[in-house]
Amino acid sequence: MTYVVTDNCIQCKYTDCVEVCPVECFYEGPNFLVIHPGECIDCDDCVDVCPANAIFNEDDLPEDKKHFLALNEELAQIWPQITDQKDPLPDAAKWDGVAGKLEHLDKSVPEG
Amino acid sequence: MAPKEKYIPSETEKAFLSTVTNGKYDREIITGLKKFVDGSVPQDMQGFYSKEELDAIMELDGTDKDLQARMPVKITRHYFEQALKSKAIQTLVKASPKETYDLDGAEDPGKQMSYSPVEGLIHKYELGLIYVASTCSAHCRFCYREELIAKKEITREDGTVAAKGLAKIKDIVDYVLEHNRLVDENSGRHPETNRERLREILMSGGDPMVLGNKNIAQWLGALSEAGIESIRIGTKELAFYPERFDETFFAMLDAFHEAYPQTNLRMMVHFNHPDEFLAKDPDGNYIEHAQGGLEWIPATRASVKEFARRSWINIDNQSPIIAGINDDSDALRIMQRELKRNGVENHYFFCGRDIVGHKAFNVPIEKAWHILNESQKGLSGVEAHARLSITHYKGKTEVAAVTNTLFPGVKGGENGVVIFKLLRSAADAPDRCKVTIVGRNEEAIWFSGYDDRVIMDEAELFSMYDIQPLTAIAAE
Repeated sequence: MTYVVTDNCIQCKYTDCVEVCPVECFYEGPNFLVIHPGECIDCDDCVDVCPANAIFNEDDLPEDKKHFLALNEELAQIWPQITDQKDPLPDAAKWDGVAGKLEHLDKSVPEG
Repeated sequence: MAPKEKYIPSETEKAFLSTVTNGKYDREIITGLKKFVDGSVPQDMQGFYSKEELDAIMELDGTDKDLQARMPVKITRHYFEQALKSKAIQTLVKASPKETYDLDGAEDPGKQMSYSPVEGLIHKYELGLIYVASTCSAHCRFCYREELIAKKEITREDGTVAAKGLAKIKDIVDYVLEHNRLVDENSGRHPETNRERLREILMSGGDPMVLGNKNIAQWLGALSEAGIESIRIGTKELAFYPERFDETFFAMLDAFHEAYPQTNLRMMVHFNHPDEFLAKDPDGNYIEHAQGGLEWIPATRASVKEFARRSWINIDNQSPIIAGINDDSDALRIMQRELKRNGVENHYFFCGRDIVGHKAFNVPIEKAWHILNESQKGLSGVEAHARLSITHYKGKTEVAAVTNTLFPGVKGGENGVVIFKLLRSAADAPDRCKVTIVGRNEEAIWFSGYDDRVIMDEAELFSMYDIQPLTAIAAE
């Protein structure tokens, strides 16, 4: 089992989860974070600290978000690890809760 | 949220931490029973729970006997593979309705919270225990840290109710420095609590070994800087996922030792049964080496050997004696022999606590003593160092002897007496090795089972609760 970051993280990227994760299993893209499903130890600590309520226990994923498990797995392989909290994206507050954010997901791998 | 005051590492710490890398681990953990119920676990795991077992467990979901609310179900692939070959391991890791048949018992019989001056710290003796992780790679069904692992809300000394929090480096370092400053200014004793210097910290949880190397390294460095001489890491990861102890981990330890050569590391490991570390042949028997000893699971032995060859690291095993898992003299004899042979000291065996939801695991005190004593028959002196310990509010207490000789005039005395010895008083060292003698009660699982048959109470295990020895009552 693992925990899964879902669509409401897109364009927000608050990174509070990164600060509490005991095993540093978050990986960072341009406007989204993902959890490495093999490295996550199911401690549950990230769920409550996410200001966007974007993180779910795999077993609690709503039906329409189930595909995020495979997406987390895929992107954790190509994105760099993030280990320190940083500022959220500039318009995070504006994007929090906006529907249909998946179309804005930038899957590109950051340079360097 | 107020900005957190950050711990500032020293230059030595920074140099050490800059060398540390995190390894990559895939424990293939299965958490919860849902995947067993809906059949989405890997092919070879299907059938680990029978349909009948799952039905009986799921029936309790949402009731006051809910097993997953009591302690989340969790297993690694490594441990699952050992469980296939071991009834004892299955009992240890598989949820069973037996756990919640009888919910009698105390929430906190050792009164741990009264020893917690800072969030995430329990301060007893010259030793502090810190909670640094809130989970383990797999979950023992008998775990008594369920309030932390299952994130239950508990009542604090001041009456507030909240989930137990983890220790923060800055809080702990500040507490250690302040405590030791006051002790030093007051000729070696704390002016209020009378405790000695804090010399030793036990990193616990949860299992510190679920954390990454960098996280563990930050604790090791900070505790050393605070003047801690010995750091303990309490872990069951050698049983759950021995591959965690990889090159990156030992490279971190070696860099730590180079930076802080005075700090001693004590690995407090947790094997309950030899099935957790010994290999088996296809018939399920241990494999004997022609030149002596038994064959280990290769990854487990390799990890133990890596610890053992570093002279500044001690490895000690501690285990409770648990019904259906290791209440078995033959298993304990093999375990003690093989651990010692491979460099692991046998430290304590424990009586389980009389805690809510633990009746299915409790072995009566006198029976536990008998099992351990039988297991040590045939062991050499150095193999038989382990003692049976029970954690009284006053401190670690040894169940030193259970006699079979008539002791007239006292309840239970027709069967003999039990001799308790206070090994370490949590508050005050001078009480060490004081003794209490009680008439036997073979049903007793906690001190309270002896309230009506105290013969002599030098250790004050009972008088602190206003229970007088029978001799004192007779004299009145």
